[in-house]
Amino acid sequence: MPEETIGQHLKKQGISRRDFVKMCGVLVGAMGMKFAPPLEESGLPAQLNNVRDSASANLIANALETKQRVPVIWLEFSDCAGCSEAITRSQSPTLVDLVLNTITIEYHETLSAAAGFQAEKAKEDAMKKYAGKYILVVEGSIPVANDGVYCTIGGRTALDLLKETAKGAAAIISTGNCASFGGLPRANPNPTDAKGVWELITDKPVVNIPGCPAIPEATTGTIAHFVVFGGLPELDNLHRPKTFYAQTIHDRCLRRPFYEAGKFAESFDDEGAKKGYCLYKLGCKGPTTYSSCATIKWDQGLSFPIQSGHPCLGCTEPNFWDGGGFYQGQSAPLAPPTVTMAGAAVAAGAVLGVGAALANQVQKKGAHAEEKKEG
Amino acid sequence: MNWESTLEFARGPFFQVALLVFIAGMTYRLVAVLALGWKADKVKSKGSKVNGIAMSFAKGILIWPFIPWVKNTFTRNPITYLAGGLFHLGLFVVIFLGAAHVLVWKSLLGFAWFSLPQPIVDWLAAGAIVAMIALFINRLVNPVLKLLTGPAEWLNWLVVFLPMVSGYAMTHHVIPEYDTLFAIHMLTVDVLLIWIPLSRISHFMFYFFSKAIHGSDFGKRAVTP
Ligand code: SF4
Repeated sequence: MPEETIGQHLKKQGISRRDFVKMCGVLVGAMGMKFAPPLEESGLPAQLNNVRDSASANLIANALETKQRVPVIWLEFSDCAGCSEAITRSQSPTLVDLVLNTITIEYHETLSAAAGFQAEKAKEDAMKKYAGKYILVVEGSIPVANDGVYCTIGGRTALDLLKETAKGAAAIISTGNCASFGGLPRANPNPTDAKGVWELITDKPVVNIPGCPAIPEATTGTIAHFVVFGGLPELDNLHRPKTFYAQTIHDRCLRRPFYEAGKFAESFDDEGAKKGYCLYKLGCKGPTTYSSCATIKWDQGLSFPIQSGHPCLGCTEPNFWDGGGFYQGQSAPLAPPTVTMAGAAVAAGAVLGVGAALANQVQKKGAHAEEKKEG
Repeated sequence: MNWESTLEFARGPFFQVALLVFIAGMTYRLVAVLALGWKADKVKSKGSKVNGIAMSFAKGILIWPFIPWVKNTFTRNPITYLAGGLFHLGLFVVIFLGAAHVLVWKSLLGFAWFSLPQPIVDWLAAGAIVAMIALFINRLVNPVLKLLTGPAEWLNWLVVFLPMVSGYAMTHHVIPEYDTLFAIHMLTVDVLLIWIPLSRISHFMFYFFSKAIHGSDFGKRAVTP
């Protein structure tokens, strides 16, 4: 029940204050807050002034304890549920536990026990009860071609459901590349005209947490930020929280020294690959991909694709599927001319060239004739 | 328009169009010259034309660059000769043997070749940029060059210089936004591709053309040493 404060809820769950502060420490890390922000900017209540000097973990703990749990409605459209899977199987139990304790998930198709009309009813109730207060998390893109018939739930289109649910939301979080930028459904030729949430909803704050799937810590960290500060973190021009998307993979890549030295793996099982050389030539998109895979990593910081020997696919960027072949070099043109096109260009050039030469000859003859006449 | 979409445009449709313009333009230039017609060759050949062509290239590419002092061009204006040579060498290595560009060739041609280690390519790229600056200053101060340099020459210089600096800045992360520099690099490359057939930069093709013609003439008259 969101009415009880987070502190009360945690007590009920048998989580000690000590463990709680510890969790908040993780949260501080996840939110990228090395230092507690100045009180005025943080939006924290004034009574927290006395804890101003204490460590950030304590600050967050105090802030959280007195707040009510935040209701979350989680909608899935043209998706694969991979982002939900990533969160529920996340290997950072403390952080995810904490976030799951500070929010109440009012509606989630994959997770909820209820189904059918019951579930839909629960959602409608929540929307009414928490109007203007809930966070809407969207997973999956929204097809808009032919009035949105390509994705319907309970007979209603995704577009319709999104618009309705967005109306009462305090903020919207698009998790994964599909909800953010259209993802796989949007890949050329995009038959369903799939779109990301921020293209459709412009009158609400929309945060994009792209990725395939989104890094669970980035999603939960952003939700946590909202719970703690009652607002959204600072965003970049693609509406991604700067905390998680300020640097490229390449900026923090462990293979970077090899890149600088020009040592590249040429295939997946050559000597270079075994020695951990840079994967640029195997199609790595790290240099233009903004994400924190290389720092937060996956599976409790165990590894991430490049560490495991696979080039970055660029899943946090718009046009993820059409941004060049996965195993094609980053520098390769996106649309190299076809042989026919090149042939046509050669033919056009040749025709023009012959034409120019003919014109020249005619002119020459004319000049000769002229000369003769005069001479 | 943000840098991401600019980059996509410059790597995608703009590059495609630029390359097609380049292909059509260069074909046009070559055909227009070839179709001017040849004078009937009535003189009996004294030597081998093929030999002449081979010698002409061998001397131009493999011999003169290493003993420049025997050439008048060098003694009269060593800066043009040395900086020009360094510039051409750097440009050639970067375009054909730099890792990133080899990947471009691979995607265009379907096959690729080896690439040189980054530090070598890097130094040559830096050398080429410095050489270009030297050539720029030379054109400003050398009294003869000053007379020969008009807007077309300055424009040629700029159109070649921009992709080189942006490419260098990109690989060296002069600013952290790799995609911004990448976008600028691609835009300037696209402009260069369109500009080449319209300008004297097309000498990259006519050089080989005229070397071959002269070589075959020398060969025919058996005047190749
Ligand atoms: S593997 Fe990719 S991200 Fe890492 S250094 Fe190489 S190009 Fe950059």
